[in-house]
Amino acid sequence: MSTEPRIAFKAGRAFRRENTNWVDPDPTKGAVILQNGEDGLLHFIWKNRTTNDSEEDLILFPSDATFAPVTQAASGRVYVLKFSSSNQRHFFWMQDADSTRDKDFVQNVNRLLLNPEELPVWFTGFPDALGTAAFEEPGTAQASSSSSSAQPAQPSQPAQPGQPGFQFTQEQLNQFQSMIESSGAGANVPPELSLTDVLTPANLTPLFTSHPELIQTLFPHLPPDLPSPPTPQTIQQVISSPQFRAAVRNFDQALRTGLLGGLVRGLGLPEEAGTGVEAFLRAIQDQAREGGGGDSMDTD
Amino acid sequence: MSGEDDSSGWQLTESDPSVFTELLKSLGVPLVVDDLYSLDSGALSTFQPIHALIFLFKWVGSSAEPSSGGQYDLEFPGFFAHQVVNNACATLAVMNAIGNIPDLPKGVQLSDLINFTVGMDPQTRGMVITSADWLREAHNALSPPSAISLEGLGLPKTTEEAYHFIVYLPYMGSVYELDGLKDSPVQHGPYEEKGEGWLAKAREVIEARIATYPPGSLEFSLLALHDDPLPTLQTSLSEAQASGNHAAVEEIMVRLANENSKRERWAFENSLRRHNYVGFIHALLSAMGKAGALDKAKEDAQAKMQERIAKRKEKGEAAMDED
Repeated sequence: MSTEPRIAFKAGRAFRRENTNWVDPDPTKGAVILQNGEDGLLHFIWKNRTTNDSEEDLILFPSDATFAPVTQAASGRVYVLKFSSSNQRHFFWMQDADSTRDKDFVQNVNRLLLNPEELPVWFTGFPDALGTAAFEEPGTAQASSSSSSAQPAQPSQPAQPGQPGFQFTQEQLNQFQSMIESSGAGANVPPELSLTDVLTPANLTPLFTSHPELIQTLFPHLPPDLPSPPTPQTIQQVISSPQFRAAVRNFDQALRTGLLGGLVRGLGLPEEAGTGVEAFLRAIQDQAREGGGGDSMDTD
Repeated sequence: MSGEDDSSGWQLTESDPSVFTELLKSLGVPLVVDDLYSLDSGALSTFQPIHALIFLFKWVGSSAEPSSGGQYDLEFPGFFAHQVVNNACATLAVMNAIGNIPDLPKGVQLSDLINFTVGMDPQTRGMVITSADWLREAHNALSPPSAISLEGLGLPKTTEEAYHFIVYLPYMGSVYELDGLKDSPVQHGPYEEKGEGWLAKAREVIEARIATYPPGSLEFSLLALHDDPLPTLQTSLSEAQASGNHAAVEEIMVRLANENSKRERWAFENSLRRHNYVGFIHALLSAMGKAGALDKAKEDAQAKMQERIAKRKEKGEAAMDED
């Protein structure tokens, strides 16, 4: 795999003020460069154009990151690189005085971030080759640019009266409480594994490439009220989303209580599958071997 | 009043502009909420006219919280409700804001509720609002349905504590601070109509407030409650097209495209927020099983967990060595 730059454009960095959503641009002239590394992985590099040093070098796994516009920035030319696997955020502002190619660069960055095998597509001409073109004056950043929303509050799952399905009553909860306390389970027993480490984009994305027919089995379980019809990319977006990750954490915690026998029967699994994370995974493995798992959809 | 654990059926929501905007839509109010990343005039002018600012924060200090200045207004004639259920804090802040915006279109249920509380004291008003079933349902519609309730099981909490919300808005010539946890609204003094109007005064007050916290102890966000820009943009677009002003048409179309793509992103996020993922999780694991990928994933996950536990033990032992 060649290690030449695949996309490059003039961009400066911006940094977030601690504990706030406020982002201050840095005037240093720089460039964003996407290129394949010797390791065969896609690298997202920020290079200082004055010193010619590469000051940031991020390795990107397929669909782990996106490069999104920060719509609140008054200049309209601020972007954020964000990751599904961590809370890292890197802010950049376009420094080419000509903004007509911004959209092209950004679209192609995202195509590569999703799938490094993709070839960039250019609609308005050929990209600058860094180091050979003469640089114009960089665009000026606004006094304060903006970042994309990073509200940290996660929803919890308190009881909602009257909900059908798998809702526990207060009495059942009290019973579970005393069962857990008397069994000595919970905080004292270290868990063997967490579902959050199983259902990662790194584990799931290669699956969609190697077994595209399995994607079909997932569509019926996506949110039913999406603004546009789902595509395979929607599945990527969902598994990378904070909402899905929170749901997996929540389900993992619930499984560890060992009390989900009733719930998992609704999924066509034996009651034993609701007694823990390992048991759940074993039961699914068995179901998959027997050719099931796709038909028993007794969920809400 | 209600203790910390009495959620009274109100679910905790995320404090995202998309969540607030969706709530406003369900209340029949044509306003939108956006993140503000700065209080400078450039950032504020993006969203003019701004009807209210919502300051949400989490204070992680240990000493007493600093006072915020201004004067209590016990005779405040507008709409002010106490926060009586913690999980309802976001909706309560929205109510305190929209209850004081003149000539604001509202759905029937909302108008009736606000009218019903005229003349009530803040505590009673807060209780009445929190008891409105339809409002609680609109609020709860913004977060995941509880397929699995973990309340009351004594499990370690993985979610964050709620942020606190404060509304700043203009009322009868002065800037007011409406904090549902304070006895009454706080008046911060008059503002001048010219230039940025009430926002200039609000900026002073909010920046002064931020400055009173020790550095690094305050996590906060600022939201702007403003008119939905889409109808105005549409009208401007038609006018620019009719008058053949191509430059203006281009510019407006870019802004429209940005706004629409933001709304689509918000709609996508909200749809993800409302979803019950149990079926999806099962389907994903089944797919991994069928593809023969589950065993390896399990082993890797077990290894990661061992690492984590080992690291924690190291840290624990290191702390002890330091004694």
